[in-house]
Order: sequence, then C-alpha cells, then structure tokens
Amino acid sequence: MLLRLAAILILLAAALPSGGDDGPHQIAVITAADHPQSQLPLAAIKLIFKRKVEIDPAGNRWIPLNLPVHDPIRRAFSLALFDQFPEDMEAYWNEQYFQGIPPPQVLGSEEAVIRFVATTPGAIGYIDRHSVDPRVKVLHTVLIQR
Amino acid sequence: MLIARRVWAILLGLAASSLACLAAADEIPTEGYRLGQGYPINSTGLRIGGYTSLHAEAPRNGPWRFELSDLSLFLTWQANDRLRFFSELEAGDAFTATEGGRSGGHEARFELERLYGDLLINGSATIRFGKFLTPVGRWNLLHADPLVWTSTRPVATENLFSKHATGLMLFGNLPLFERRLEYQVYADLTRSLDPHRSENPFDNAAGVHALYGLSERLQIGASYLSFELNADRRRRQHLVGLEAIWRHHRYELSTEWVYRTPQDQGPSLWQGFAQGVAPIAGDWYAVGRYELFEQRGDLGTGQAGVFGLAYRPLPPLVVKFEYRLGTHNQQTAPDGFYTSFAVLF
Repeated sequence: MLLRLAAILILLAAALPSGGDDGPHQIAVITAADHPQSQLPLAAIKLIFKRKVEIDPAGNRWIPLNLPVHDPIRRAFSLALFDQFPEDMEAYWNEQYFQGIPPPQVLGSEEAVIRFVATTPGAIGYIDRHSVDPRVKVLHTVLIQR
Repeated sequence: MLIARRVWAILLGLAASSLACLAAADEIPTEGYRLGQGYPINSTGLRIGGYTSLHAEAPRNGPWRFELSDLSLFLTWQANDRLRFFSELEAGDAFTATEGGRSGGHEARFELERLYGDLLINGSATIRFGKFLTPVGRWNLLHADPLVWTSTRPVATENLFSKHATGLMLFGNLPLFERRLEYQVYADLTRSLDPHRSENPFDNAAGVHALYGLSERLQIGASYLSFELNADRRRRQHLVGLEAIWRHHRYELSTEWVYRTPQDQGPSLWQGFAQGVAPIAGDWYAVGRYELFEQRGDLGTGQAGVFGLAYRPLPPLVVKFEYRLGTHNQQTAPDGFYTSFAVLF
C-alpha cells in the first residue's frame, strides 16, 4: 500500500511543472494579499476544502477554489490533503450536495485562481509555489516529495 | 394517465442527460452542470437538481410491483455569506404498475420532504430552522436511493422514530483530540412548516447526534432522542443510537443500532443492521446486510439477510439487484427479489 502511494506521489511530482531544482515540489495555498490571516494550518485548510468550516475567525465566508480534476496540481493537492484523488472524492460531494452543500467552484487555470483570489474576499485557492505573485498571500505551503 | 405521461417524459429527459454525462464524464467543465451536483444558475446563488429512482419488487408471497418511487427536486439558494436555504420537493409513488394489472399515478403524493434555512454563525456553529431529516444514524440522513447500496431500507432506520423533524437545530464541528467532532442538537418545536404532515410525525422531540472520525477511514457516532409521536402523544419515548462506518478505497463496512424505550410502561425495542460492500469486477459491487429487529406485539424478533449486486458506473448513478430472506420478517421486511435504478442529478 505504501509502495503504491509512494509510486503515485512520484508520478504526480514528475507531472508537476518543474521548478528548476531537485528539492520537494511546493504547492502554495493562497488568499488575497490583504486577507487578515497570515498563515493557516493544514488541518484547517482540509476543513475549508471539505466545506466543513465555511466561516473564518473574523466572520467572513471562505470561498474555496479548485483547479480542474485532471490538473496535476489539483491531484497532488487532493492526495496530500485527503489521501484521495479528486474522482474518489465524488461520492463525498454527492452526499454533501444531498444536504445542500455544493463542492468548491472549479477554475480553469492557476492564473484564473490568482485573479479570483486577489479580487474576492474570502477566496482561497492553491497554485504552484513558483506561480505566486504579489497579488496574493501564501497561507501554507504543501510539500510534495519528488 | 396524464401524470404518467408527464413522469415518463421527465424520466426520458433524465435518462438522456445521464447518458450524455456518462459520455462526457472525462470532460470536467469549470462551470455549469455536473451529474450528481446540480445545476448552478449563473451568479444568482441558486442551484437546482434532485434525484429519481425506479423500483421493481417481486415478494415471495405477494404480487410483483413496479414503481417510480421518488422524483425529488432540490433547490438551494446561497442568499449571502451567512444565509442559505434548501428545499426538497418529492413526488412519491408517481407511477405504479402491479401484477393485478393496476397502473397509473393513483397513489402519487407530493411532499415537502425538507425545507430549511441555515444561518452560519461561525466556523463551528450553524443554526438551521425548518423541516429537516432527523439525525439518528447515517442512513436516515443520506437515505436517497442514489447514495445507498440497496433498494430496500433497513428496518432499524425507519420504524422507531420519525424520519423528519420540524424546528430548530444547532450543528457544526468542534476540535477534539486533534480531530473534529461533528454535532447536531435539535428540537422539534412546531408543525407550522409541515402542514401536510410527514409520515409518523413527532409531536414533541429533542435530540443530539455526534459523529467522530477516529481516522480518515473510520467514523463512529451516537444519537439520543426524547420524543412523543403524534400518533401516540401520551407516551414519551427515549431512543439511543450507535453507528460506525469504515471506508477504504471501494470497500465499505457500516452498522447502525437503535434502542427505544418508553418512559412509562411498554416494551423496549432493539433494532440494527451491519452491512458490507466490496468491489468485484469493474463497476460491479457485492453487497450484503444482516438485520435484527425486535417488533411490537406477537411478531417476535425478526431477522433478515440481504444479498445483492450493485452496478455503479459513476458515483451518482446506480443499478441494484438484491434478494432478501429472513425470519419473522413478513410484516416489515418481506422475503423477495428487489431491483432499482437511481440517479442523482
């Protein structure tokens, strides 16, 4: 089982855009540059992306964003957070939908995520660490071992 | 007949959309419709969807029956950052055909299955007001045919308490030992939102339900409920429930048990089930369930075993075939063959 997981992670890491170094790949969890929070633990991010927590400590609504299901960053992020690929989460989202809670909105590219996050209070997304620019703030960095 | 024609027209439309979605399952749109997740209407905050199911049954000691069991429509509205509404309107038994030759929509009934507003207080608490599913066990909360593995419902999930409550609920999750405890505390306060009355409604009820994830794969839960049923107002009952579910990849084990005892005189009753699901080939699954249920009167303690297959090519779409066999079960869970098709749309 562990060997299978390791193999999957290696394949995913190989599919991710190269950062030009041999270290672990990094996925940045981002929010707007002026968001009051400066960091967020992985456990809290997990709850936000499962829509179990919808309001931040300041009382604003979280708006989690996903990349498309076949995007390698989405797949690595899902595996790192939930130990499941996005398609394996579909049964969970069907159950949530039955209770009136839709899954996070999907945006088509990292640039779309950056733009949405930068202009929408409470929006939270994830992108390759190398794609981060001053429009957004990094709340957490998820390491994906190569 | 007019109702039947309309229902069939809707069904054909749904089947066509299901097939289209099957064909396009690999194309994930960034916006718009996805099977099993409803249709978001632009930026209005509205989302429409629902589910439907067709059932056929051939009890060992009775006539066969075919029915369009459920046609449920969901409407969700995210009014603002903190307020959202949800409704489920259900047309039950909209079309039936039986061995005796009767057919049509004679038994069709429309019911407001759920109608509530959620006010998000903070990250740990939300207030719900309206008509909601009674949080006893997992099955009652997720009972829709596309979400469960068998055409038949376990006896323990429907006879000892009302499936709905109308009132107030506080729910959310709290940190506990580095994990989260999901909780629901509720009170049945009014019937004003449920004028047509649910089946076997509460008259006065309050309860709590808690769910804790011991790991990513294993969740355990407990329920307590104190209530009077409208049909039996002078008898207060207390109900305790226990549940667990383990999921790993495509395997699943689950169990639910309830114990109901009257405050004064009368019999106490135990009911419960244990169910297992395992992939066998491709999108086919083997399903097995054992049920044990004490019953009122002279019916004795019933047992039932359900053995079946489920074909689930996509999570929101399932076809099920099963045979149920038991003892002292003819009143509540008769022996026979059951099959169904269900889709969440």
